[in-house]
Amino acid sequence: MIESYKDAGAARLIKILSEYKLQIIITAIFLSLWLVFYIINPPALSNVFTYYSIASVAPFTVLPALSLTLIIIAGEIDLSFSSIMALGALITALTWQALGEASPLGVILGLLAGLGAGLLNGVLVCKLGIPSLIATIGTMFLWRGVVLVITQGFSIPLGMYRGSAIFNILVGRVYGVPVHLLWTIGLAIVFWLILNKHKFGAYIYYVGDNRTGAQMVGINIHRVLISLYAVHGVIAAFAGIIDTLEMATFWPTLGDIYMLKSVAAVVVGGTPVTGGVGTIYGTFIGGLILEFIEMGVLTSGVTGFWIQLVHGIVIIIALAAQGILRRIELAKVRLLRILTEESEEK
Amino acid sequence: MSKRYIVEMHDIIKRFGSVVALRGVDFYVQENEVVGLVGDNGAGKSTLVKILFGIYAPDEGEIIIKGKKFRKLNPKLAYELGIILVHQERILCGNHPIWRNVFMGRELTNKLGFLKINEMKKITYECLSQLGLTRMQVETPVKYLSGGYMQGVQISRALTFEADLVVLDEPTIALSLVETQRVLEYVNKLRNKGKSSIFVSHNIYHVYPVADRFVILDRGRVVAEFYKKDLTPEDLAEIMISIARTGSVPEKYQKLNLKLTYGKGSFS
Repeated sequence: MIESYKDAGAARLIKILSEYKLQIIITAIFLSLWLVFYIINPPALSNVFTYYSIASVAPFTVLPALSLTLIIIAGEIDLSFSSIMALGALITALTWQALGEASPLGVILGLLAGLGAGLLNGVLVCKLGIPSLIATIGTMFLWRGVVLVITQGFSIPLGMYRGSAIFNILVGRVYGVPVHLLWTIGLAIVFWLILNKHKFGAYIYYVGDNRTGAQMVGINIHRVLISLYAVHGVIAAFAGIIDTLEMATFWPTLGDIYMLKSVAAVVVGGTPVTGGVGTIYGTFIGGLILEFIEMGVLTSGVTGFWIQLVHGIVIIIALAAQGILRRIELAKVRLLRILTEESEEK
Repeated sequence: MSKRYIVEMHDIIKRFGSVVALRGVDFYVQENEVVGLVGDNGAGKSTLVKILFGIYAPDEGEIIIKGKKFRKLNPKLAYELGIILVHQERILCGNHPIWRNVFMGRELTNKLGFLKINEMKKITYECLSQLGLTRMQVETPVKYLSGGYMQGVQISRALTFEADLVVLDEPTIALSLVETQRVLEYVNKLRNKGKSSIFVSHNIYHVYPVADRFVILDRGRVVAEFYKKDLTPEDLAEIMISIARTGSVPEKYQKLNLKLTYGKGSFS
């Protein structure tokens, strides 16, 4: 039985296609990139180790990009997560150094540091009313400065803890698949569920789409934003910790390269910085695309200097595609508004 | 007139800095009544309904809703008390489907907070059908709708939530004639369902057909109140013009004025 508020067959398919057009486009870009790199270097792209290597580095870009997506949908931005990655990892490394063993306590303290840093961002943006771009540039320098002062620029080796339980839980391998990729996929699913199926996700969208309206229906905007910054802080610290463990060394500059890459992953994934719309799936694939380009450029046999160039081209193409889609959308809005208006004349 | 009062507001004063927007306003809404809140721009209509909806806090005065006294409200509390605000496009989220907008801020969820999507779509469909709005799918993003249709979506929020009082703040502004007609029909449907509404407008020809009682605000005061049955639209227009020019109601209408306390204020 077809319920009357649903529509049937072909019409439904068309609607699904138009509803998910951004996801479809981003997937198409990903597949065509794969095809291009495959044509250039078939042996490398047929080798399973290529994919293992992408799988082992992609989570560092994708993880912070996932929670960043939520912040951007809510109409704000966070640039400090790259420094929070380093902060969280440093706390973990220092705790382990002090205890002399790879204790879960270190990870918990690292995540709590991320939580604290995230809450600070939230308070600066909400309670003090500082624009998030400026506030998080401030905290970005702050936490990076804290890390540099504490370490005096030296790295902290953690290789001796390899093989410990916490290592295996966070960055081990299951049949060759990096565990941190599984963590990333798991968290992506959790974020997707929250964003699309949970009340909190609906609030995130409303806050980004129409803040006045959200406030008028009684949504606590500050609570939504502060929670988002707190979650983002924890996820950033988590990404920093797994990055450090994967490299088995803490570097004081950890996270720097991920900042713009994660922001780019969100944008390439079809989430506009204007807020109100965006998808977790897009960000996930967007992050993979950026990692894929790095690998593809290297296996193509050209120098690594090409990576940034190709990144730039892909980001611009993705943005241009979104711009064109938005224009089509506007035309559609105008047309449909006229149609619904006429329909009322009967 | 032994009807129950939904809302009573006593002696409401609201200042914005040195500007006094409301100078001791008394205002009430009864059960199953449509109140036309009219007045020129800057008379304080919007401020009054925003206080009722908890967006502003009054500086002085008290608000009694269904017998409960409040010093001030907030939007969430107002919702819980069954007051819904319908605003020209302002509350809707354009990128989101109709059903999400209808349930915005009041989502049906299970215990873990996950949305009951199909249930919400079904209820949305039923409510929109009651208003005759079936042309668009409930999954249609709201930005594709015309102004009148959007008002319909907002009014269906009131039906969905069993609100007792629907506040329509300038609901017909920027709408075409046909769409204005539509919105007036929605208000009539709300009354037929036993709900009360406050219809805020400066266009008396939009308010007149639907309101039972008119409350005329001028410069932060309620200067006059009339039952519709006592006036023709032309009478109302004459009164409005007189108030705008001289600040007072013409003598021949004074005996119909429910607001007999008027005149002892600072106007001379």
